[in-house]
Amino acid sequence: MNPTGSVTVMTGSHSHGQGHETTFAQLVASQLGISIDDVEVIHGDTGKMDFGMGTYGSRSLSVGGSALMKAADKIVAKGKKIAGHLMDAKSEDIDFDDGEFKVRESNLSKTFQEIAFAAYVPHDYPLEELEPGLTEKAFYDPANFTYPAGTHICEVEIDPDTGVTSVVKFTAVDDFGTIINPMIVEGQVHGGIAQGIGQAMLEHGIYDETGQLQTGSFMDYCMPRADDLPNFDVGMTTTVCTHNPVGAKGCGEAGAIGSPPAVINAITNALGVREIDMPATPLNVWQTLQNATHEDARGE
Amino acid sequence: MYNFNYHCPSSLQEAESLYAKSEDPMFLAGGHTLLPTMKQRLNAPTDLIDLAGLTELAGISREGDVLQIGAYTRHADVAASELVQAAIPALAKLARGIGDTQVRNRGTIGGSVANNDPAADYPAALLGLGATVVTTKRAVPADEFFVDMFETVLEEGEIITAVTFPVKGDAEYIKFANPASRYATVGVFINRHNDGVRVAITGAASSVFRCSEYEAALSSSFAESALNGITLRTDNFNEDLHASVDYRAHLCAVIAKRVIASMV
Repeated sequence: MNPTGSVTVMTGSHSHGQGHETTFAQLVASQLGISIDDVEVIHGDTGKMDFGMGTYGSRSLSVGGSALMKAADKIVAKGKKIAGHLMDAKSEDIDFDDGEFKVRESNLSKTFQEIAFAAYVPHDYPLEELEPGLTEKAFYDPANFTYPAGTHICEVEIDPDTGVTSVVKFTAVDDFGTIINPMIVEGQVHGGIAQGIGQAMLEHGIYDETGQLQTGSFMDYCMPRADDLPNFDVGMTTTVCTHNPVGAKGCGEAGAIGSPPAVINAITNALGVREIDMPATPLNVWQTLQNATHEDARGE
Repeated sequence: MYNFNYHCPSSLQEAESLYAKSEDPMFLAGGHTLLPTMKQRLNAPTDLIDLAGLTELAGISREGDVLQIGAYTRHADVAASELVQAAIPALAKLARGIGDTQVRNRGTIGGSVANNDPAADYPAALLGLGATVVTTKRAVPADEFFVDMFETVLEEGEIITAVTFPVKGDAEYIKFANPASRYATVGVFINRHNDGVRVAITGAASSVFRCSEYEAALSSSFAESALNGITLRTDNFNEDLHASVDYRAHLCAVIAKRVIASMV
């Protein structure tokens, strides 16, 4: 907490496009009952952060967010002590609600801004019992993994003459537990599905026999582009995670995990074959069809 | 990229004399092939002679049944030209499908033709339509212009000034694009007119070529079924990560049939 009541969040979880600045700020603002505009999230600078484990395993909200909630809990707990001193009440008789510290069964209250100011300008402060300042740190290590679950359904159309495969419809419904920002979560799923379709149908790192990378530029390495993809239908169910304070399960990788098997299952189903190697490029699909046709002709 | 001298002449004569005086010069048009290869040090001219100042090389005009496109006319301008759309709609469509917006706004027909990339689109139109390449020295029929991969009959210092297209019959071009680069894996250009049928195929072989087997079949019967049973000679067909020789040969027939279907 800063003396004015605004908050600076330092997190060891790094954001590189996942929108942590928004999600973490929402989480803290909601817990402390302050405006999201009063929350600044700082990340990704080892000169400012004590420690960080990075961002991986779809863990930023369920692990990093849980640490943030624990730190905010400590802020509120210390705030109650300061509020109790200021309003001549026991800290256990202070309720914290929507940014205000209230003495139970009275009309006395203090805003978060007043408590923060008192903590940093301690003219009226229990200096013998409590250190001035309002800065807290929390670590969180999850007791268990989280188990997001989902179903991805893919519909493809294959041109048997050319092997060109079009993803015409893609529906993904996932359960990520508590969702802080639905738009960001949907964006994560969209990006993951695009990446997964790229893996299933387009992207291929190929080396020649001397070890020279042959797909060394985007002229040969085929990244998914907007016209390779349909509009995605994305839905959510919510079953709150029971063992972290946010109730969140990971969402970052779900799109990229669900989509490759959905795409490949759709393709093998359409072709009537048991398997096809990724990526199912037009050449690969056409060749697979040729081989299947020849096997049929031989009665295999 | 290695160091080089940059020149921007304001006349063809100046461009030619700069070329003659320089140690290892190259002409620059849109630069969308040359500049990337210079960055990769696959090309290292001592002198780059930019043709951008030669305003007389850009522009589109039509006289009777001849459509003339200046060598420095950009793909986007050909695609948007009402003259081209009215005379040879397939040519405007082809230009609209080259590369991406940035490429179409920089790349020129002269540059594309002079480079003769085996997967380029324009060579198919020139050969399919029986165009003529006009240079500072002569006029060369497209049938004689394209030699082999990245090779044409252009001589040292010779500059393409325009391409002229006869306006006759109807035409269509369909490209099967490489999924990554979106160059033509196979592109088929067909022109049907009173004297017969011309079929040019790009992307499939080491250079654009006229497909005499398809031309003969289509001249007697302009129908998809006319191509059934025709086997192309594939000695000089390309093979790469995205398409085998067999696949390319198969695509030639598939795409040619689609062109025919869109014309009948």
